Amino acid sequence: MRITDLEKTIGKFCLKVDDLYIEPGKIHGIVGPNGCGKTVFLKTAAGILKPDKGSIDYEGLTSREITMMFQRPYLMDTSVYQNLIYPLTIRKIKPDEAEVDRMLEKVGLLGQKKQYAKSLSSGERQKLSFLRALIFHPKLIMVDETLSNLDPESEELFEEMILEVQKKEPVTWLIVNHQLDHINQICYQIHHMEKGRFLKS
Amino acid sequence: MIEWLKSVISDPGILSAIEVTFTMAVCSTAISSVLGIMLGLLLEKFQFPGKRIIVRMNRTLMGVPPVVVGLVVYLLIMRRGPLGPLSLLFTIKGMVIAQTLIITPIICGMIYSYARKAAPGIRVFAVTMGASRAQSVLLTIREMRREIYFCMVTGFGRSISEVGAVMLVGGNIKGRTRTMTTTISLLKSQGIFTEGVALGILLLVMAFILQWVCDMLQKEEEQDENY
Repeated sequence: MRITDLEKTIGKFCLKVDDLYIEPGKIHGIVGPNGCGKTVFLKTAAGILKPDKGSIDYEGLTSREITMMFQRPYLMDTSVYQNLIYPLTIRKIKPDEAEVDRMLEKVGLLGQKKQYAKSLSSGERQKLSFLRALIFHPKLIMVDETLSNLDPESEELFEEMILEVQKKEPVTWLIVNHQLDHINQICYQIHHMEKGRFLKS
Repeated sequence: MIEWLKSVISDPGILSAIEVTFTMAVCSTAISSVLGIMLGLLLEKFQFPGKRIIVRMNRTLMGVPPVVVGLVVYLLIMRRGPLGPLSLLFTIKGMVIAQTLIITPIICGMIYSYARKAAPGIRVFAVTMGASRAQSVLLTIREMRREIYFCMVTGFGRSISEVGAVMLVGGNIKGRTRTMTTTISLLKSQGIFTEGVALGILLLVMAFILQWVCDMLQKEEEQDENY
């Protein structure tokens, strides 16, 4: 994915990316201080915000193959199971029940499968949102600090699952992190941001 | 007491009033819901010049006295009025038109307020899931279903309890356009209080049932972790 001459202004804040190449199939970390524009960058790259200027070349990816996970994920007003299979429902794909159960089991949510999704704790919500992003096999996944604020065990579990995905079918990951996050260790490349710009890495 | 209520309800005039009330309320709520929900969602979704004025007008109309709407509709559909040839005066159709004008702004305004809070988040979520435009709209409606039910129940409640507009436009004709509320009003002026009170109790029971339905819809609502 190549981003050239991108500009996005929101109020006083201005994001400016002259030239950034994101090597496909790798895990990329984005770090920087609060308010430096990481989230605005991710949202623009995910197509949620329209850039004022510039272009993003997804190298053949369609919007249906791109997803983004938020720090506070949106959960639909229904069960855990229905939330998980929503991406499949809108693609008219019948879910593989055994696979669904296996995924839920892996993060310890199998017992809550039929439970009302909004009754989950914030950690469980993030796990569900993570599975929901993986279930439709997107090619580009953006993660907005979802993996921060997790307990060490869950963090390790997420890392393990990301690596598992990479082994099967490499996906491009753009993960916004804190400077000292453990997950930086599995990143192929770390991009530093400051005041709306990328520093040379 | 139950015997007494039964004897009141079995009166053919009262029975007809109940029937008229329900026919009118169901029709006007259905039409207002379709219009109000659509307009409310459109108003939230699109930015256009003059939007703030429209929102303000909507809020004003939410509080307009029904009797004023009744008067306007009366002037429109009276025999010498612009819609006179349609002979809608003193018919249930005419009453439904007046009530639709009263209830639509209420539903529209409520839906707009709810949608402003909920819809942007739902739309962003839909994009991240790769949903099409139609799927995104469908999801918004489905996610807001409780609020939508609530607006509809509110609209229905307004409809059955309204007197002024229905009296002006419907003419309170026995067996044709006489509703429960206009019956009470008439009975009072004739000094017949017992039957008026019985009808009042019936309306209260209906309001209670509506309230109860609303409550059941709200019960399952999100228990946010911040509370």
